[in-house]
Amino acid sequence: MIEPRLLQNFNGNRAFVVTDRAAAMDTLVTALERLGVAIAAEHVVGSVGDIDLSHLSAERDVIFIDGDIGDCAALPLSPIGHLPPAPVIGVIGVTAPSRLKALMRAGATSFLRKPIHASAVYPALFVGVNEYRRHRHLEALLEDQERRRRGRRDVVKAIIRTMAAHGLDDDAAYDLLRRRCMAARQTMEDYCSALVREQDLAAGDAGRDVAGQERRAN
Amino acid sequence: MPSLTTNIGVLFSTTGSYGYVAQSMLNGALLAVEEVNSSHLGLRITPSIHNPGGDLAHYGVHAETLLRSGVRHVVGCYTSSARKEVIPLFEKHDGLLWYPSHYEGFESSNNVIYTGAAPNQHMLPLVDYLLQHHGRRAFCVGSNYIWAWENNRILRESVSARGGNVLAERYFAVGETDFSQVVEAIIAARPSFVFLTLIGTSAYTFFRMFRAACRAAGIDQAREIPVASCSLSEPELEAIGTEAVDGHLSSSVYFTSIESADNARFLTAYGSAFPGGPTASADAEASYNAVWLLARSMAAAGSDDPRAVKASLVEQHCDAPQGKVWIDNETYHAFLTPRIGRSNTEARFDLVSEARAPVRPDPYLVNNSGRFEAAPFPVLRLVS
Repeated sequence: MIEPRLLQNFNGNRAFVVTDRAAAMDTLVTALERLGVAIAAEHVVGSVGDIDLSHLSAERDVIFIDGDIGDCAALPLSPIGHLPPAPVIGVIGVTAPSRLKALMRAGATSFLRKPIHASAVYPALFVGVNEYRRHRHLEALLEDQERRRRGRRDVVKAIIRTMAAHGLDDDAAYDLLRRRCMAARQTMEDYCSALVREQDLAAGDAGRDVAGQERRAN
Repeated sequence: MPSLTTNIGVLFSTTGSYGYVAQSMLNGALLAVEEVNSSHLGLRITPSIHNPGGDLAHYGVHAETLLRSGVRHVVGCYTSSARKEVIPLFEKHDGLLWYPSHYEGFESSNNVIYTGAAPNQHMLPLVDYLLQHHGRRAFCVGSNYIWAWENNRILRESVSARGGNVLAERYFAVGETDFSQVVEAIIAARPSFVFLTLIGTSAYTFFRMFRAACRAAGIDQAREIPVASCSLSEPELEAIGTEAVDGHLSSSVYFTSIESADNARFLTAYGSAFPGGPTASADAEASYNAVWLLARSMAAAGSDDPRAVKASLVEQHCDAPQGKVWIDNETYHAFLTPRIGRSNTEARFDLVSEARAPVRPDPYLVNNSGRFEAAPFPVLRLVS
């Protein structure tokens, strides 16, 4: 799995701002427009609950959340990495732990300090979006590793069956399976799972055939 | 009687390793002040001149002194390090820094007006020219600070995107003058061109050493391994000396060789005011333009209040020595006309390429770069 390349030009991105004081975000809006990030008036909302999640894209959208608002709604987070559906940048006013924690829990990957300085927006965007992409990559890696871990049971089964079928030791059986999975362009786990399933089905069919023959004989 | 009198700060390191260029910037600013004061704008400007001596630590002290004395506009700084050093002070005191030098971009402070070239006005045209006319193998040599780092990044990405490669990037402390090893390395590597981001005395020494080493090795340096830069100007050509002055490429929005009535008038006035030199340069012209834009904006606003000045600034169009110049109301960078020049034996530049019209500034390369960084691994090539 190739590590994602750094995103450095945000032209064409779209921003949402969650705040109850839209006037305090003028600098942010101007700075985003300079960077080619579109921010429509209807995308400045009072709660994350007002964001239409069905149209949210992790590749295109960025959400700025004002840490000073007491928002009861929350963005849904992914099960493994606890990531929001799009990068979140926290806007910090009050620096009390409760507010910072709320932004962390919303999945913020970078922060802007109030009052917002125009020159701070590009670095916050750069770090926030790229850190989100890195987390998402790690999450995908974890998911893949977890799936492969679950498949190890079938790898062990496939090795034992190959040893029995071909009279090989475990290393030779593993090498044989590895060559076959590479030829099939599959991971070892996927190949072995398919092989075990296929053999189990064949064994089930054979078992049913034997049972049928026995019934007929009786 | 002028209806408005005001003090402005002028902050240039006219001594130190890049003092020669800074002196031409100071000259450009002072020439404009003199012209403004004798014009019909109804404005009297008194410049307060400060010299930090090329020492980064002194910039803050001088800027703070100016701002605390009530000055609200300062024309100054040459290096990006110096600009970064003073920006927090301008933000704190709500003053405006009129920054008259080409720079590497990726900045847009509300308290800075950028009258020099942004990277899409000097860096990208140079990359296009080099790849089209000289080849795809670059060797980068620069002073160890943000100007060189960022320009080399842009070069690396542009060259990689077009199938070329950067053979090496070498950095030296500002003021370093021992380049014997890197000169040997360049001659051994035989790149298509050297991209130079050394500044001041380091650059002048490099040009001399590289030319001498190439000559000794039987290489026609200007033709076979040209040196290209985004900061080389006429005063610096004079500082290089006659032995190594010709054949270098420079990307800039202004050269003294531009043929226009406005430029001829500027050069005559500059020459009369400063007969001892240094010669006018792109940075001198940007300083000259900065003072004129400031003066016109103040006159239109009827005040030196930074907000009022900024509001009226975007309405001002200047017939500058380089052509029409005006400020973009989104980024507060200038619309300027990119050009490429090749130095000649008279320490001037012959124009080899020129944009048809002023180009909109794009300091973040929003409209002029890929969405992602360049691929971190080399493109595979067929070797046999």
